[in-house]
Amino acid sequence: MTQDKVELGEKLGFYFDQTACTGCKACQIACKDKHDLPLGVNWRRVVEYSGGTWRQEGNTFTPNVFTYYTSISCNHCENPVCMQVCPTTAMSVREDGTVWVDEDKCVGCRYCEWACPYSAPQFNAESGHMSKCDLCFDYRQEGNDPACVSACPSRALDWGPIDELRAKYGDNAAVAPLPDPSITNPHLVITPHRDAQAWDSGTGDIANPKEI
Amino acid sequence: MNTHELPMILFTVIAQMSVGTFLVLGVIDVAVMRGRFKDSATRVVEPVLYAIGPALVLGLLVSMLHMNDITNVFNVFRHWNSSWLSREIIFGVAFAALGFATAIVTWLRAGSVALRRVLSAVTALAGIALVWAMSQIYYSVVTIPAWHTAIVPLHFFGTTIILGALAVGSALMVTAAIRARNEPKPATKTTTKPAPTSGFAAMVKGRIAEINAPTSADEWALTTSIVRWIAVVTAIAGLVILLSYPVHIADLAQGNATAQAAAAVFSGGFFIARMVLLAISAILLAFFAFSTARNTLRERPGWLVTLMVSAFVLAAIAEIMGRSLHYDSMLRIGI
Repeated sequence: MTQDKVELGEKLGFYFDQTACTGCKACQIACKDKHDLPLGVNWRRVVEYSGGTWRQEGNTFTPNVFTYYTSISCNHCENPVCMQVCPTTAMSVREDGTVWVDEDKCVGCRYCEWACPYSAPQFNAESGHMSKCDLCFDYRQEGNDPACVSACPSRALDWGPIDELRAKYGDNAAVAPLPDPSITNPHLVITPHRDAQAWDSGTGDIANPKEI
Repeated sequence: MNTHELPMILFTVIAQMSVGTFLVLGVIDVAVMRGRFKDSATRVVEPVLYAIGPALVLGLLVSMLHMNDITNVFNVFRHWNSSWLSREIIFGVAFAALGFATAIVTWLRAGSVALRRVLSAVTALAGIALVWAMSQIYYSVVTIPAWHTAIVPLHFFGTTIILGALAVGSALMVTAAIRARNEPKPATKTTTKPAPTSGFAAMVKGRIAEINAPTSADEWALTTSIVRWIAVVTAIAGLVILLSYPVHIADLAQGNATAQAAAAVFSGGFFIARMVLLAISAILLAFFAFSTARNTLRERPGWLVTLMVSAFVLAAIAEIMGRSLHYDSMLRIGI
C-alpha cells in the first residue's frame, strides 16, 4: 500500500497480526526514531500479556499458561474520548479520520491522557504539549507507509481505510489487555493469538508495565 | 498525599469552599429577609462576602499550575460544547466575575436591593454550575471506574457545603472577635454615614470603621443562631460523606479488576486519618459549637471562635486529604 493516503473520509486505522508478533519492539523503536521522541514517550508500545494456571492429577501438575504480545499505538478511534474531553480543540480529527494534536492550541493539561484507555496521548515535557501518533502524516503525504508498519520483520502490521482492513482481516479488537472496544470504537483490527483472552476475562496481567 | 496533583487538589477544594461560602451567605440572607434580624443581617454577613474573592482568585491561580503551556491558555474555552473542562473554566470565571460584581455593589451600596439580590442569585447559580461542571470532569471519564460514579458529585457538593458553612462560621467568629476589641470605645464617630463629598479614601475608611464597629445585641443573637445552624448543616453533610465511603468501596469491589484496585486506595492510615479528621471537625466540634453558641457572650467570644476556627481548619485538612484520595483512585481500564 504505497499510494498517497491523506484523502478525505478514509477513516484510516491499523491492523495487527497477533499470531505473527514476536515482541521484538522493532515497531516501537522505528516510531521513536522517526518522530525523535524523548525518553518516556512511546507512541507505539508492545504490551506483553501473560497468565495461566495448572491442573493437578495425582502427582502430576499440568501447566496451562499463555503469553502473547500486542503492538498498540493510537487507534484513531471512531469515538475518540481524548478529543471529547480536550478543552482546547487541539485534539482533533483530520479529514482522513486520524486523530492528531494541534500544538498551536494545546495547553498541556493532560486531560486526554486521563481519558484514553490505550494510553495513546502522551505528554512531551520538552514541548509542554501532548503528543501522539498521527499515523505518520508526512510519510503518507509522500506515499510511504507509516514507520512502524515498514519496520516489522514479521509483517504483523498493516494500515489503511478501516473498512478495507475489516473486509480483509475481520473485525476483532476485543482482546485483553485492551479495553472493551465499544467504548471508543477503535479503528483497529486484530488477528488474535491462539491463546488470546477476551477483553473482560481478567485472566492475565501485563508483564511489562514499565515498558509501555 | 498525592503531591503530583496538588494544584488540582487545592484548586477544587478552594473553589468549592468559595462557592459554598457564597451559597451559605445567600441562604442566610434569604432566611432572615423578613424576620426580626432583617436589619442586622447585612452587617453580619457583609465582611464574609469580601473574603471569598481573594480565596477564589488564589484557587484559579493555583489551577493554572496544572497547565504546561500557559501561552495557549485562552484556547481552553473553545470546546465548551463537548468538554466539561471548558465548561468548568467558563463557570469558574463567571462565578468569579459575578461574585466580584456582587461584592463591589454591596461595598458601594450601589443600585437597589432588588438588583443586588438578582446579582447574588445569578452568582449563586454560576457557583452551583461550577461545582457541577467540576464533578462532571471526573464523572464523564467512562474509562476510570472510581470517577464514573455519582459519588464524585456527592463528594464535591459535600466539600462545598461543609467548608462553605464552616468558613462562614469562622469568618463570623473572627469578625465578632475583631468587633469585640472595639467594644470599650464609645463608637460614636464611626457610625456617621460615609460622606461621598469627602473623597474615595475617606469613604473606604468610613466603610471599614462601620464594618468593624462593635457587635450589637441583635447582631450577636443572629450570629450565634447562624453558628448553631451551621453546626447542624455541617454535621449532616459530614455524616453523609462518612457513610458514602463504605458504599463507594463496596461498589468498586464488585467491579472489574481496575475498579477493585481503585477500591484498595480507600484503606490504610491516610484514609482512616481523613475519616477521623472529618468526624472530629464536621461532627464533634460542630456539636460543641452548637451547645456553646447559646451561652457565649458577645464581649467574650473567645472559646466559640476557637471552636469554629479549629473545626474549619481541621475540616479543610480532611477535605484536602479526601481529594488527594480521589486523585489516587485514578486507575484506568485498558493499558
